[in-house]
Amino acid sequence: MKDKLYRDILPRVSKPARYTGNELNVIKKDWETSHTKMVFAFPDVYEIGMSHIGGKILYGLVNEKTDHLMERSYAPWPDMESIMREENIPLYSLESFRPLADFDIVGFSLQYELSITNILNMLDLSGIPLKSEQRGEDDPLIVAGGPVAFNPEPFADFIDVFFIGDGEEVLPEFLDAYYNNRHLGRQECLIKMAAIEGIYVPQLYNVEYFSDNTIKSRQPLYAGIPSIIRKRVVANLDEAYYPDKPVLPYMEIIHDRAVLEVMRGCQRGCRFCHAGMVYRPTRERSIDTLFGQARNQLLHTGYEEVSLASLSTLDYSAVDQLVKGLVAEHGPRGVGVALPSLRVDAFSIELANEVQKVRKTTLTLAPEAGSQRLRDVINKNVDTEQLLSAVEAAFKSGWMSIKLYFMIGLPTENREDLDGILDLLDEVKKVGNQYSRRPVEIRASMACFVPKPHTPFQWQPQNNIAELQDKIAWLRRSKRKHIKLSFHDSQTSYLEGVIARGDRRLGEVILTAWQKGCRFDGWSEYFSFERWMDSFHQCAIEPDFYVTRQRAYSEIMPWDFIDIGVTKEFLAEENELAMAGILSPDCRQVGCTGCGVCTSLEVDLDIRGEENFAHQG
Amino acid sequence: MRIRVEYEVNSELRFLSNLDMMNVIQRALRRADIPYALSEGFNPHIRLSMGTVLPVGLWGQREYFDLELSERMSIEGFSSKMNAVLPPTIEINHACEIEQLTPALMKVINATAYVFVINADDVDVSAWRDQVLNRDILMVKSRGKKKGIDKDLKKGIYKIELINNEMVTNIIIWVSSGEPVNIRYDELLDMMQQTGLDSRLIIDVYRQGNYIKVGEQFYSPLKKVKVFE
Repeated sequence: MKDKLYRDILPRVSKPARYTGNELNVIKKDWETSHTKMVFAFPDVYEIGMSHIGGKILYGLVNEKTDHLMERSYAPWPDMESIMREENIPLYSLESFRPLADFDIVGFSLQYELSITNILNMLDLSGIPLKSEQRGEDDPLIVAGGPVAFNPEPFADFIDVFFIGDGEEVLPEFLDAYYNNRHLGRQECLIKMAAIEGIYVPQLYNVEYFSDNTIKSRQPLYAGIPSIIRKRVVANLDEAYYPDKPVLPYMEIIHDRAVLEVMRGCQRGCRFCHAGMVYRPTRERSIDTLFGQARNQLLHTGYEEVSLASLSTLDYSAVDQLVKGLVAEHGPRGVGVALPSLRVDAFSIELANEVQKVRKTTLTLAPEAGSQRLRDVINKNVDTEQLLSAVEAAFKSGWMSIKLYFMIGLPTENREDLDGILDLLDEVKKVGNQYSRRPVEIRASMACFVPKPHTPFQWQPQNNIAELQDKIAWLRRSKRKHIKLSFHDSQTSYLEGVIARGDRRLGEVILTAWQKGCRFDGWSEYFSFERWMDSFHQCAIEPDFYVTRQRAYSEIMPWDFIDIGVTKEFLAEENELAMAGILSPDCRQVGCTGCGVCTSLEVDLDIRGEENFAHQG
Repeated sequence: MRIRVEYEVNSELRFLSNLDMMNVIQRALRRADIPYALSEGFNPHIRLSMGTVLPVGLWGQREYFDLELSERMSIEGFSSKMNAVLPPTIEINHACEIEQLTPALMKVINATAYVFVINADDVDVSAWRDQVLNRDILMVKSRGKKKGIDKDLKKGIYKIELINNEMVTNIIIWVSSGEPVNIRYDELLDMMQQTGLDSRLIIDVYRQGNYIKVGEQFYSPLKKVKVFE
């Protein structure tokens, strides 16, 4: 197999190093003596999948700390796919080069709604039946987890088992349970698995609908199957497993550096933010743990940069000390520190100046909305003054270009809010030109707002494509010198919206779209909106039902049975506050705001350092 | 202290680009805690310079890089520390100290030997060689940056050696690199096809080494390092 690959197949494809495996720090466990055999399958290309922290954690955890085995596989690029199909080469793992169908468990990471067609394609390339109901005793169990699994319903036809919440909590328990029940038939085994907290087996439930297509009821089919699935949470992140020897790729990947996960969760409470709700509560690692992890990862990889990852790294309570400590320890050897996301305030810029080892090119900030009114609606706790002081600090210290992230299509948005974006850009440019001899470059990237499940905006209608196109045309109506606007594709955002808040009836549409050739839908060169719309039409399903409809508080949402700890009442109240334009504070600063996560999951905010909020503003 | 290093790239790494290969070496230098020297400026980088680019798809028996160290260390110490952390697919075989003013690899390497391993059961390879060497011109379409231009390889083909093993024959073609003509291995493949050697017979291609050609002699870049000679 490997020989054929090297000689006949790989010389004919682009970026062959995607498919060769055997990287430094790879773990090849003995097949025969390992208990449960699982392959971690990432539904996108190698260089994206290898950049994903969750995959690194699970790979190291299963292989180093359990008797089970985990190998890796990624979606082949279309050129490789067509050769694999021609030559009858099944999708294989990068460790043992075994076909995916040989494993007990094939586990997909759901990071993005539109990667579902790649999942179907990978199953098909493995010769595994696409639908759960078609699989037999000899087929692997198909499992999935990740942020998109917090609404698993659109994928219910294809996935046997979902993991809800932090994977490192539930996966080892699942693999043990699978091994202990391996002698059981498939159905019996699934029923056993369904009893584990955080595990959801969609085929064990029946859903009924009202004539208006909203959900009437959801029932487990058997006694003892939980009707509510509660997410799993790592209570003590500081003691949780984190890999010291991540696999070091030979080819350049998207995030090609050592990565520290300084904390998980964020309690700022931006009302549009899915991650901010589903990953509560905030849990930090201690600074000593992080120093140790940085040292070990650099020792075993030789990376030239270490990145501090989290939802909001500048909110890490000891960020100042951490950054300065890392720079002092590793800087003299030419190893740099990267801050991937900056908070909109002057303190952030000062810290960024400290670590910036490359020339000061582009600085990225995310005010998200153009007017104070709309920023209050979404609970983005930033005012114009803060933004301008951050920008001033940046230009003063030599940055020449600033990139700003905004969303369009937010609830209650009107023309003044859109004009607010343009005014803000003008003001930023004005500040820049006071400090720079050359004209500064301002770039603004506009995403189309997609309401996500488990957020205060889950009831809100999403703008339709025509509305978004209008807004884009409005923003583009006059050109401004040295200000560049770019927009996310409104058709892609629409489809994301359908799947994000979809139910299990979408399975048919997804299957049809894949049959029509849809894959790599997150890549603009492969995305075909027409094929998707044809598929909706063919299945007689109206996509607007999921996207542009205002939902009632009384409606049963497809994801209501997934308990993220945050209560529906809290979300509804936040939605009301949004409509009234009232801000909600951060519970780290003012005490509990009653989202419900700590009490219901019996966990707590875990803040390790001295608070740095004093530096703000 | 400045050193020149010769290493072998195993066939498993034949699909790496030059940038990938540089990353592999730089990361190994960090893992091995080698006292490399850093450049000045905003973005300090390791003072490493690679020899001629190993084409994607080929493995190499004798590849080279030069490295600047910030403190002295023994050559043996360097090689053993590096080999301990390099993946098993790369190995450092030789190294030596060079003078500060020794010209860079890219400037002095002017010849390369490519090996084409062919399944030679029923081909008369030596007859093929003779007719190639007897031709006055060997015209191919150029590959690479200046694609599709007529290019005569003749003056850049220095010698062709044949080594018969049990089932296969190694055709070793010594060619010019840079001046007077830069010959790529894929241009050699085209030439072979045109002169009657079926490319389907080729089962492996690799680079045997990079050389400094002076007169009719081919020197290893490790041997020709004196500034004044």
